[in-house]
Amino acid sequence: MAKKSNAPVIVRFYRFKNRLRDKTAGLSAGGASISVEALEAASQALEKMSEDYPDWVSGLIAKLQEQHGRCVDTPENRKDFFEEINHIAHDMKGQGGTFGYPLITAFSDSLYDFTTTKSGITDNMIEVVKAHIDAMKAVIRGRVSGDGGEVGATLTRTLNEAIAKYDT
Amino acid sequence: MSDYDFDRVNVLLAEDSPFIRSLLVNSLKVLGVGQVIAVEHGGDAINFLKRVKEEPMKVGIQQIDIIVSNWDMSPVDGMMFLRWVRRHKDSPDRFVPFVMITSYTEPERVTMAREMGVTEILAKPFTIKNIADKLVSIIERPRQFVHTKDYFGPDRRRQKLEPKGPERRVLTDKSEGVEIIRG
Repeated sequence: MAKKSNAPVIVRFYRFKNRLRDKTAGLSAGGASISVEALEAASQALEKMSEDYPDWVSGLIAKLQEQHGRCVDTPENRKDFFEEINHIAHDMKGQGGTFGYPLITAFSDSLYDFTTTKSGITDNMIEVVKAHIDAMKAVIRGRVSGDGGEVGATLTRTLNEAIAKYDT
Repeated sequence: MSDYDFDRVNVLLAEDSPFIRSLLVNSLKVLGVGQVIAVEHGGDAINFLKRVKEEPMKVGIQQIDIIVSNWDMSPVDGMMFLRWVRRHKDSPDRFVPFVMITSYTEPERVTMAREMGVTEILAKPFTIKNIADKLVSIIERPRQFVHTKDYFGPDRRRQKLEPKGPERRVLTDKSEGVEIIRG
């Protein structure tokens, strides 16, 4: 697509035949839709997979704990560990809501924000990371789905208190 | 109204999280997509597309119809992959619909993907309905591709809105310097 600088063309528009529509909706002129049955079946499949979600999250929480342990043991490398924690939190925050665990999304979102581009990582900040991990563990251990009602509110409050206490 | 038949559709999926990957493969299959080729990151996806171009018979796929890719992957992330698809000479189809999945939905990130020529953005956490809506949008509302000195990708104007105030766009289909390619 290299173009000479003195070429007269300023803009090219590509207007193609809608092949994908021909392929999926046939040649009928009327509108098509995704079948209700297929949508229903896919939603059920998603629900079924969501049963495995707590196990998957537990694996990631274990990884977070490992990185937290390293932060405590080798403070000089904290920046790298924080980056790894940030990365894991990013993986976690995406799907909690889909699988009925919005609290996991909320806590990992908070952990993600907290660990984004930090310098001068103090012991207090490591405590805040731990508070997040503890809150997540409590959610999964207790299978606290949805907003978690009173338990959820308590977990959120405890975490926020820990953040307020240490994040100075 | 009839139902879409996705049986002849080939989707290439690049997603590094095994959990999300199997979830997406499963969802697309249950929606009726004929073939879903799942790879772990952009690099594997690029290698696969090169093979489709070089030896389609051997791969058993003539063409990828839709690409679905996570953004945050390593070593080759979704943006690098998108750039390759849209701009590289070895790309088998620079016009292929590209859906970027991301939990980064800050406006500047969305703009970044748009400027690189993304077709649709699927925000995490997603539902089956979100996935289905993206498929319908790709099929029913394809946009012309625009190639200028600093952009190549689907038209970033999704709606035909009348400008507020006087018309200041200088180029029309008939202007000198505008080339329209149909196919």
